[in-house]
Amino acid sequence: MKKISYILALSLAVGFSSCKKDIKEINKINPGQFSDSDPVLMMPGAQLANVLVNEGEAARLAGIFSGHHVGWDRQFVSYGDYVMNAGDFNTPWGNLYTEGIAQCRIIRAKAAKANNKQLNSVACITEANLLLTASALWGDIPDSEACTDGITSPKFDKMSDVHKHAIALLDSALSYSANHANFSGAYAGNHNWAQVANTLKARAYLRMGDYTNAAAAATSGVAAGKDLLADHSQATPGAWNLYYDFLDWNRAGYISASGSHMQKLLDSSTFFRNNAKTDESSRFAYYFLEDYYTPLDPNIDNGIFAATNNFPIVSYVENQLILAECAIRGGDINTALTHLNNVRKDNATSTGGQYDDYVAGDFGPGQIVPGANANDAMLKEILVEKYTSLYGQIEPWCDLRRTKNLIGVVPNKGTQLPQRFLVPQDEINANKNAPAAGTLFDALELFPQ
Amino acid sequence: MRMKKLLMVISAASIVPAAFAQAGPGGSSGSDTVDVGAVTVTAIGTTKNVRKIGYSVSQVQGKGLVSSGESGVIQALTGKASNVQITRSAGDPGAGAYIQIRGQNTITGSNQPLIVVDGIPVSNSSFGGGPDGVVQQSRLNDLNPSDIESVEVLKGAAAAAVWGTRAANGVIVVTTKKGKRGMSIEFSSTYAIDQVNREYEKQGKFGQGAGGRFAANNANSWGDRIALRNGTDSINPNGARFVADDGTVYGTIVRKGDKTVYNDKNRDQVFRNGITWNNNLSISAGNDKSNMFFSLSDWNQQGIMKGLSDYRRTTARLNFTQNVSDKLTVGLNANMAKTVSNRVQMGSNLDGLYLGYLRTSPDFDNSDYKGTYYSAAGIPKFNAHRGYRRYLGDVAPTYNNPGWTLNEQTNTSDVTRFILTPEASYKWHENHKLIARLGHDMSTDRRITYFPVNSAGSQANGSFTDDHIQETETSMHFINQGSHKLGSAINLNSTVGYLYTYRSLYNIGGSASQFIIRDQDRFAFINSTTENKDPFNSYSELISNRAYGILDFDIKDKIFLQLTGASEASSTYADRFFSPSGSLAYELTKDLKPNNVLSYAKLRVSAGRVGVAPPAYIWNTNYVAASSSSGWGDYLDGSLYGGSIYRSSTQGNPDIKPEIKTETELGADIKLFKNKVSLGFTYYQNKIEGAVLAIAVANSTGYANQWKNAADLSNKGIEIDMNVNLVKTDNFNLNLYGNLGRNRNTVDNLSGAAPIFLAGFTGTSSRAVEGQAMGALWGGKWAKDESGKLVLDADGFPTASSEEGVIGDPNPDWRGSVGLNGNYKNLNFNLLVETCQGNQMWAGTYGVLNNFGVTPETATEFTVSAADAANIVDYRGVTLATAAAAGANGLASVNADGSITARGSLKDFGAGNVWLNQYWYTSLGGGFGSVAEQFIKDASWTRIRELSLSYQLPKAWSDAVHVPGGISVGFTGRNLALWTKFDGLDPETNLTGVSNGRGLDYFNNPGTKSYLFNIKFNL
Repeated sequence: MKKISYILALSLAVGFSSCKKDIKEINKINPGQFSDSDPVLMMPGAQLANVLVNEGEAARLAGIFSGHHVGWDRQFVSYGDYVMNAGDFNTPWGNLYTEGIAQCRIIRAKAAKANNKQLNSVACITEANLLLTASALWGDIPDSEACTDGITSPKFDKMSDVHKHAIALLDSALSYSANHANFSGAYAGNHNWAQVANTLKARAYLRMGDYTNAAAAATSGVAAGKDLLADHSQATPGAWNLYYDFLDWNRAGYISASGSHMQKLLDSSTFFRNNAKTDESSRFAYYFLEDYYTPLDPNIDNGIFAATNNFPIVSYVENQLILAECAIRGGDINTALTHLNNVRKDNATSTGGQYDDYVAGDFGPGQIVPGANANDAMLKEILVEKYTSLYGQIEPWCDLRRTKNLIGVVPNKGTQLPQRFLVPQDEINANKNAPAAGTLFDALELFPQ
Repeated sequence: MRMKKLLMVISAASIVPAAFAQAGPGGSSGSDTVDVGAVTVTAIGTTKNVRKIGYSVSQVQGKGLVSSGESGVIQALTGKASNVQITRSAGDPGAGAYIQIRGQNTITGSNQPLIVVDGIPVSNSSFGGGPDGVVQQSRLNDLNPSDIESVEVLKGAAAAAVWGTRAANGVIVVTTKKGKRGMSIEFSSTYAIDQVNREYEKQGKFGQGAGGRFAANNANSWGDRIALRNGTDSINPNGARFVADDGTVYGTIVRKGDKTVYNDKNRDQVFRNGITWNNNLSISAGNDKSNMFFSLSDWNQQGIMKGLSDYRRTTARLNFTQNVSDKLTVGLNANMAKTVSNRVQMGSNLDGLYLGYLRTSPDFDNSDYKGTYYSAAGIPKFNAHRGYRRYLGDVAPTYNNPGWTLNEQTNTSDVTRFILTPEASYKWHENHKLIARLGHDMSTDRRITYFPVNSAGSQANGSFTDDHIQETETSMHFINQGSHKLGSAINLNSTVGYLYTYRSLYNIGGSASQFIIRDQDRFAFINSTTENKDPFNSYSELISNRAYGILDFDIKDKIFLQLTGASEASSTYADRFFSPSGSLAYELTKDLKPNNVLSYAKLRVSAGRVGVAPPAYIWNTNYVAASSSSGWGDYLDGSLYGGSIYRSSTQGNPDIKPEIKTETELGADIKLFKNKVSLGFTYYQNKIEGAVLAIAVANSTGYANQWKNAADLSNKGIEIDMNVNLVKTDNFNLNLYGNLGRNRNTVDNLSGAAPIFLAGFTGTSSRAVEGQAMGALWGGKWAKDESGKLVLDADGFPTASSEEGVIGDPNPDWRGSVGLNGNYKNLNFNLLVETCQGNQMWAGTYGVLNNFGVTPETATEFTVSAADAANIVDYRGVTLATAAAAGANGLASVNADGSITARGSLKDFGAGNVWLNQYWYTSLGGGFGSVAEQFIKDASWTRIRELSLSYQLPKAWSDAVHVPGGISVGFTGRNLALWTKFDGLDPETNLTGVSNGRGLDYFNNPGTKSYLFNIKFNL
């Protein structure tokens, strides 16, 4: 018995002492991963998340809801019928927060510590862009308590408060040093961050119905040729235009343009938009492909969504149309006209076709652009132009909801356009403060119906 | 005394108590299981008399494994032990299998038992395996079943406690054969035929197209009525064309006229009889000083899928033991295996077999899949790929033609494996023996995945991956065994041991896409430009050491007490982990008067605590390469934007601890009527606390997951094993045997977190959900009001609920098997029927085939009066009358009497009949709609698992051909019959392979049934 105890004790001693320290060392650091990163290196990743949300799944769904697209195949048939469940929204939400907002907040903290104001300004603008997109899609979202250590159930802030916070972030960016195009890993690089920040501010104010501030911001907004463009110049998976990646490479035929409101606006057989000063046939060819996968596809071959075509995140056209809308809402038809014609000139350059300058007399009862009166006709024309020229982007869906569908988009199914994304199932499951999923037709705070 | 009384009470309360070391069907063949001298192998590879164990163990003899005709040891265990559930991934040759003993014990860690071969842990990993790709092997497949003497399945915590944090899922102890005295040579040869055991039925009435009209290249079979066509396709003579490699020309169809239904022809393109040759040579020799066992084997199998589907395993083994002196024995067990196989792409995969095959429209002929496309202007495109969604092959089809999947794509696996186990034992004292055992298990697997240019989907410009996986496990094991007398009544055997283990997994490889040279198949990275090359590597290593002690008390040869303690340190957690266990057996019959009814009875009780080690490298939050993806395949890769490294969405945890499993087990082993009937009964319950998982957190926290000891699970269940000797005479022996197992698993606590995704899709997945059994099926449901009635839309169709929830349970209520074995003179036979009841499965394939209009369910027709037709609407809200007026004969048409005949069916969801047709099935009513609930099906099954016969030829015959040891011939049928309500597929399958997510079917490759013919020579 003694002997046993001796051996037992010895073995246990060996066991206890045997290289416990070394043992722990080998799993301390994962040889395949890093433990920290420079904020400069983090920035492109956060920007890519921003691009993915504004050009990827969220944009596709927003486009289906706005009538840009039609759900044609598989799950997208249901989506096109506005039948979706909370789980369908998990991924864009995750992209927004974990790959976008969380990274921006780390970058901001690190940039502040290093006193890198330029980087800080870009992180502020990127975060504001993400917040504005998220809030446009879901309305109330976690913001003030989001991505904060120790808070496991961030509360949902009001849509208007999120917009105010985004504007504050943009003001911070402008107060640092935003007059540059540095730290633009995900973008093509011709932009100026201060201009981007101002157009984003204008976008936020416009959604809030504050036309004065929107116009003020847009005055310093994105200039011609200075669009913030997602860079898709490399012809390789992982860098492609996301519409191309989705519609040609991964999910051919899932989304069509056939029967969309967009088609109806531009189609030569209906010629909704053509008039004495306008011929949309070039734009039609740039936007659509006939009988590719479906009777009419978004142009993923040689047009707007071709593999290496850059995608606008914040654009001159949007900025001009914000200025135009603010002007006409203030009754200033001449200013509105200037900005609208700027966009028409831009159309003629970018897609070809006929876009002669309008004059004030072209609007109103019995005119080229008809309407109850000149102002109404012009407001509608500005919104239709924005709906058309921002093809594939999220903002037209915001305009439809903001203006109670002033331009009269016919829903794919039923009589109502969807108003929002559902609160994602993953968030409902894990966040005690998450509201119920809701329905697609619940109006958002800033977009009452 | 008190204890005894307690045990009696327990025994009386239990339903039927039980046999011990349960000789399974393979083990008990032709002999009485009641053998008081029988031994079982313990967790550390030593032997022990089965009488003296206080825990439950199932033993399967090697010949039972061989007669099952399975290539892998795991697969061969199927049906042979209670509560041991084996699920093969698919019917591909060499496919891996998932083992589950007494339910699931962890959430995201491995639920696979530890495999110990000849006292040394070996790898049974299955690297890879998701909803797409190919079926991976399990590394235990590398063992030749013919080399195995016995397998013991240690199910409970007490039996396995010395293995500490590796023992929570049970331990499978494999003992290989040793040389026997004298010399014998055995050669056996087996020829086997495999066939697909269950297939989907396809409709043959309606053609390719949509809206009731033919449309070439359309995904769906919602086209016209084939029977109403004129007979011949009309072809544009000046149009583009496809010229197949055999010269057949396919022109541009102007109007579809061909009435042929190609379902059978397309089927025969895909399936064949799989053929296996298995040759096995073994030599056993031994004398006083030494013994050796040597074997060579070659398993050469062609799969049932007609193309590059095969599996060839060549093994060699030498087990050698030498008694150097009275005190010193040395030995070496050496095993080498070379496994080469070709696999077929499957699952949710545009380049997968079943996806392209099953979706093919009935009026499309798949036979010519490769050739040259000529445009209308006559410009050729070589190596064109013709499929039903690109019938001219002008560009890659949306889905692969199955012929292309089977013959043009390459998916090889080339495995080399060595397991070396040198051992020495020295009797340094008359009562003490010291054993030193080393183990080195090393495998390399080289996998090639190659898609030629023009494969479907994202592989259209070609892609190639060369993937090397190297796995090692090195162990040093020292054991001291001692025996002592404590007074006259108590014997004590002591064991102390120390075990050091080092494990590593190294994966390196690269992929290349967008080939430069598009028409030569080369597995070379030079065929891609720099930006299209993607190297990858990963490396992980683990060290653990463990010291343990076992005390076995034998009190008056009727009470047996075992106490075990193991203390373990590991590189993946901070503090040592202690695993205590105890078991007590009491042989009741020693204290009873012998009687004719009760021949033997033992009561046993045991308890133990084991664990599951957390995975490596979860202490820190990593910074990872930035990449964003939408979940549909489109993504943005930071490395293409100058490189970006940002914080991972998974938060690390430096305080992680092992999961703790505590289990108690009660049981009895009983033999009745002079040992004719043996029964084993076991009840167990366990609790797993602090299961480690990357718990889903609200994404708005900035993280998607956090590593935590977050979950608690529990299992409880019963196991009954029985064997009844019905007849025993000199010439005729017949046993009835069987087992029954039932396990109830509950995820008790997820710390309030979200359901955990284990495997599957965005729409349907297998998850861990609080209050549900592990693996619960999760997905979209019908919207229902408070009274449980469907919420209908204005047209009377049901609607989808906006929130997802639990929709099914893939775990069976119970499983059991019953068999007959025995012999009549020289004829041995075994019949095993197995059943699994109450498990559900997501019929993803079926739901999606409904979407495509391929299932017979979607091709039914009905006729209604004109009056009814004006009122009944489809999912679009279009009435039958309006639809019929449109003149698409495949949708609806007006008969002479004014009545209307339409494709589809009528259904009343609660607001009167509605018309289920294309518009319903391609939306909410089909597999791509959001309501997964409707495709959760009962996947219970009952099958004839095995029927085997073997006949020993008369000695005179074998002597005449100079085979002194005799010749036997045998037949085995495996999976001969299957009864299940699950449509189209043997439900014993799992899309996501050996993962913790269960119960998913989505274009899985089908299962098989087999006929094996065997001849064996003993020289």
